[in-house]
Amino acid sequence: MSFLTILFATLFYFATAVLLFGVGYKIWQYAITPAPLKIPTMPAPITKLGVVLRMTEEVVLFKSLFKSNKWIWIFGWMFHFALLLVLLRHLRYFQEPVWWWVDLIQPVGMYAGFVLVIGLLGLITRRIVVARVRYITSPSDHLMLILIISIGLTGLAMRYILRTDIVSVKAFMLGLLYLDVQPIPTDWLFLTHITLVISLLLVFPFSKLLHAPGIFFSPTRNQVDNPREKRHIAKWAAKLDATRKS
Amino acid sequence: MNILHLLKAFLITGVMLMATAVSAEVPLPEIQTGEGNCVEPTDIMRKDHMNFIYHQRDETMYQGIRTSKYSLKQCVSCHAIKDDQGEYVRANDPKYFCTSCHEYVAVKIDCFECHADTPRSTDKHELRVNE
Repeated sequence: MSFLTILFATLFYFATAVLLFGVGYKIWQYAITPAPLKIPTMPAPITKLGVVLRMTEEVVLFKSLFKSNKWIWIFGWMFHFALLLVLLRHLRYFQEPVWWWVDLIQPVGMYAGFVLVIGLLGLITRRIVVARVRYITSPSDHLMLILIISIGLTGLAMRYILRTDIVSVKAFMLGLLYLDVQPIPTDWLFLTHITLVISLLLVFPFSKLLHAPGIFFSPTRNQVDNPREKRHIAKWAAKLDATRKS
Repeated sequence: MNILHLLKAFLITGVMLMATAVSAEVPLPEIQTGEGNCVEPTDIMRKDHMNFIYHQRDETMYQGIRTSKYSLKQCVSCHAIKDDQGEYVRANDPKYFCTSCHEYVAVKIDCFECHADTPRSTDKHELRVNE
């Protein structure tokens, strides 16, 4: 086995472990953090089913963002939806045989790559051009955008300019899953793409990208509007309540 | 808390998936080798064969330059294989030279919707002549 194969296999296992444990830990942390106040943003649903619907609208359509800023919504939603398609297209490298619907969406995912990059270019332009946004922009905001743009561009370049032998790419990825490591293709474009992806996996649990699991824990979005029907009380407060001498 | 049960369930499913993965061997495509030498080295063909074929098509169809170096017919004539009964394997069979890899990476081949997938013998007009 070549040095590169061992290096990248190790990096992949390490990055995956960091991602899973890191994000798992953050989700656990979000789950046990008390929400002491009843603060759903009005108008809010009054049943649990309503909350599920509201959350679905948030996650799928970015409803609050749409109501607050149309430009961010257009580019942000473009990016996220294209990212979903691109990720689903990449599923073919991780399964054998490939599911029929993954096969079906291959052509769509191909063009979604362009939409993804255009969306991100829109977002980064906003951070550079709009003065008041530039003022509150931190280096990490740019880092995430540039990182994902580079991943998109190297991916597109591999599809449209300098091709890679994707059969050995798939063999390598499946090899990682089956714990039977196969030689990695050594095209520089592929190695760049994969290095950037590994960096993304590593930085994910420590970055603003945690908004992905985080949105589900937003008290203003996930609470039922029933303060009069049911007393809202956090666990730690319940203990104090029980011992209170009135 | 509900979410904690859910997390535990995810973790257990993950471990079980890992366990099933470990018990099997990596699936790899069975790549048949053709007869003689190819027009380009193997590693170049693996990356760029589609570009050669498309380029050849454009030159032939739009400019009338018909050469044989990258012709699909040549690909087929070297790479066609026969099954146990001595019949040519067709393009929809996973054993077919192109299909084994194309199915592996979920890439559709549309060449054979018009072009012959075996050397000549299945051409309709030739069959008619033979009758």
